[in-house]
Parts: sequence; C-alpha cells; structure tokens
Amino acid sequence: MSLISEKKDFKIISDLIPKESSVIDVGCNDGSLLQYLKEKNNINGRGMEIDQNKVQLCLSKGISVIEGDADVDLFDYPDNLFDFSILTYALQATKSPKTVLSQLVRISKKSIISFPNFGHWKIGTSLLLNRKMPVSNKLSYSWHETPNLHFCTINDFIDLCEEIDINIEIKANLKNYKLSKYTGKNFFDSYFSEAGLFLISKR
Amino acid sequence: MNENKIVELATDKPLRLDCGKNLGPIQTAYTTYGALNVDKNNAILVCHALTGDQYVASSHPITKKDGWWSQVVGPDKPIDTNKFFVICPNVIGGCMGSTGPKEINPKTNKEFGTDFPVITIADMVRAQKLLVEHLGIKKLFCVTGGSMGGMLVLEWLSKFPEMVHSAIPIATATNHSTQNIALNELARQAIMADPNWQSGLYYQTDKTPLKGLSVARMAAHISYLSKDALQNRFGRNLQDKNELEYSFDADFEIESYLRHQGYSFVDRFDANSYLYITRAMDYFDITASHNGSLIDAFKNTDSKVLCVSFTSDWLYPTSENKKIVKVFNALGLNVSFIEIETENGHDSFLLDVPKFFDALKGFLNSTLNDL
Repeated sequence: MSLISEKKDFKIISDLIPKESSVIDVGCNDGSLLQYLKEKNNINGRGMEIDQNKVQLCLSKGISVIEGDADVDLFDYPDNLFDFSILTYALQATKSPKTVLSQLVRISKKSIISFPNFGHWKIGTSLLLNRKMPVSNKLSYSWHETPNLHFCTINDFIDLCEEIDINIEIKANLKNYKLSKYTGKNFFDSYFSEAGLFLISKR
Repeated sequence: MNENKIVELATDKPLRLDCGKNLGPIQTAYTTYGALNVDKNNAILVCHALTGDQYVASSHPITKKDGWWSQVVGPDKPIDTNKFFVICPNVIGGCMGSTGPKEINPKTNKEFGTDFPVITIADMVRAQKLLVEHLGIKKLFCVTGGSMGGMLVLEWLSKFPEMVHSAIPIATATNHSTQNIALNELARQAIMADPNWQSGLYYQTDKTPLKGLSVARMAAHISYLSKDALQNRFGRNLQDKNELEYSFDADFEIESYLRHQGYSFVDRFDANSYLYITRAMDYFDITASHNGSLIDAFKNTDSKVLCVSFTSDWLYPTSENKKIVKVFNALGLNVSFIEIETENGHDSFLLDVPKFFDALKGFLNSTLNDL
C-alpha cells in the first residue's frame, strides 16, 4: 500500500520504540522499516511477510524473516516474546483483524498499529456524492482488485480494542507527525485523519 | 585441491556410539573446496543426504557425473568457494571411503558387514565433529544440508551449538514420521529379500543383492518426486513403442525410468550401507534425549538459522519444517523461513531452483557481512 510519507511514518514509529528493543514487523514488506529501526535504534528485529519475493529481499539484507501469514502464523510465538510488534497498513487486509490484534498484543508487550481510516471525510464524500468506492493515497486500489477485506474507521478500531480488552496508550497525528496520550474518541481524528496510528497493549 | 582425502580419526579414544558400542579408530573420506582463511571462520560444512557422498561439487569417481550439489557449491555459486571453505565428508556408515559396513574391520581383517554397529544421526555428527577439529576449526561459519543432511544440521545445532555460527536445514524434519519409517522399511525388506544379500555377508562371494537394492531405490525415487512432477514428465507415455505389449516389460516410460534409476544406483551404492543409513534416519528424533521437548533440544543454540521447505515435498513437508521454525521462534533465535514454490517434490533441493539459490546466497552473504 502506498503511503503519504513512508519516511515520516518510520520516524514516528521509531520515536515510540526505545533503543535495543526486540521488534517483530508483521507484513514487513522488503524489510525497510526494520532496517531503519536497526540503524536508528539498534533494535533486534524480526519480520513476517507473506510475499516470497519480499522475503528474498529481506534475506539479502540480513533481516531474519519468516515467510508467513499473520492470520495463521502468529500463534506460533510464545507470550511476550517481543517488546514491540508492528502492523502497518495491513490490519484491513487480514482475514480476522480481531484475532490478529489479540495475537499481536499477546506476543509483545506493546503493539504499534496503523491503518487507513475509512471514516475520513473524503471517503464519506466519495460514497455520498459520487456513489463510488474511494481511491486515495492510503486506499490505492480499485474496489475489484483490492486485497483489503475489512475496512474500519478510527472509531471502529477503538471499539474493537475496547471489546477485546486492549488498552490504547498513545495516538499519532499523521498530519503534523506528533504523538500524544490517547484520551478517548475524538471527532477531529475520526473525521480528518486519513489514517490512524496507535500504540496499544493488552489490559 | 578438490580430490578425495581420507583421514583416520578417533585414534586415541574410540567413538562412543548411541547403541553403547565403541567404534574406532574411524576413517572419514571428505572433499574440500575453496580456502580456509587465517581466522578459520569461513568454513561451511555441507552434509549429504541418504544416498549422497563427499563428491558435492566434483566429478563422481564411479558415475563420472558432476557432484550432487555442483550447481550450489563453487566459485560465484550460492555457496561461493571464492569466499567460503567448504567441507563435505562421507558419513560413517556410508560406502565411499568412510568407516562403514563394506570397510575392513581392523579386528577381524574382514569387511564389517552386519557386524557394523547400528549408528545414529548423532553418531555421524560426532564423527563429523572430529573431522572439523582435525582441520583446526573451532566454529563453523555454517552447517547446511537437505533431507538427512538437514537432520545432521539439526543435530549439530542441538549437540554442538557453540561450534555453529549459522545453519541452513533444508527439506527436513525433527523426527522421522511413521510414513517415512514405513517407506524405509519397504526399502530394507526389498534388500533383505534378495537371496544374494546372504544376511549381509556378500562381500566375499561373487553375488551382491543388486536387485533388492535396485527395488529399494525405485521405491525411494517415487517418494522423492511429486505426483504432478511424475504426471507432467511421464504421463502414460509408452517407452519406445506405439502400443501396449501385453507383457511385463517396461511398457510405460515411468517404468523404464525407475528401472534405470534402480540399475544405475547399484553401481555406486552398497546395500548394507543403505540398511544402516535408513535405520539411522528412522531412529532420528531430536527430542529423544530431551524428554520429548524440542525447546530443550535447542535450548543452548544461539545460531542464526534459515529453514527452507518446498511446496510439493510430501516426504519432508512444509509442516515438518515449520516445527523447526516454531521452536526457534519460541527460543527467540534469529530464524528465517522460506517455502519455495516448486512442483518437483523432495528432490527440489538437488535441482536448479533459482529462488532457492537466491535465498541461500542472500542469507550467507548477509551473515558473512555481519561477521
């Protein structure tokens, strides 16, 4: 999925992760985030990636990577194995976001989750005025070719976390790239954020 | 440089085998490629499979064919001998010069035959360790191998983890499944049913159990290929004929192919070695000396590991290889896993599979850069 600013996302994720942490990036793509975090924070990183070509790229960069599927293979990890798990722009493409979120907070002390916000006003407008499925930078696929299965809004995500006893600790503003303590649902976030990025943990 | 060498090991103290017997001194036949660097930290131990041998990347003295992994080991190949010093020993119990049933028992001055003790994968690794020490190497850069070779890799990781910097077990398992044991038993019974086997004492006679060994190889060969690979390659094609002959000659191409595989195998392999090595594979269970716990088996390991499986391999399927990945994950090891898409079955690790080669190369080179 194309990102508005991959580098800025990387930066804000690195701000959330203390040096020397152990980290698993689920859906790690070509390993560039793990590499960034290794260089910047000297993390001990692992990747999981479903696309074999990307697994090859990770191997050639020296990144330890498992060819695997978040819906299936997270069960193989013991509780709290990692300090952090990361899932960027992939929650909506999982078969069971609920299971994947529960597994992520089980295998790591904290999780960083980002996803496109289906509640963004442009999306509502696209549906309301044009009667067309939205296509934007963060939602770059046409409806008939999208790998995305479960779109959600920021408010939906917050509700799901509540339902499965997940604590939201920090939210990121992806407009000005600032982090702030999460204090509850917020009209501006749900309406004007193209994406959400949260630091969560199990209750 | 690449010629076969034979070294006598366990000269001071015999090898203590899992069966409780002692074996020694032992011969180990091996080949090497490339050069050991000054720090002696660029050595890769390549472990061969059931019917493999030390001729990993050099012409086989009997068949005159290229080495069994010559597309993987060599200058600028995935295991690049410009960078790495590659060691490939023939396992004990084998028949290409290492101590095994067809070699002379120094105590009797006759071939061991079935007096040779039943050996295990761990015994083979104990012998390999003596060779590695003999070569002055304290820590191997990597240990790799497919199938039984992969079992040897796992045994190295479990038994001598401090001597292994990284490891690549390929198309293997942490123990032999019931199906694996059943197939090996079929092969052994084929050998022992051949009257020429003579309870294993055929070396001094003019008869050898070629037919039994040939049938064993035919059965095994089917298990090395996938249904699709057989179907696509041979179908129901007839062999050099246009119609069925209503006889038991090789009407179908697949029959002719398997017969050829069987006949050509007996020229280079010893029937008793086949019995001993399949037995070692059947006995293999890495958890056996660890109360059934995979975690315990690998608890002292801190090597960087790449596990590889192949989609169409039904002999050592992805699910078996993933058990290895799972335990290494649980131990927090630096483990990678890749499942290569191929229709060629278990044999894929011996074939020209570019994605597999890329994975080996990527892993080895990046591990070398981090050294």
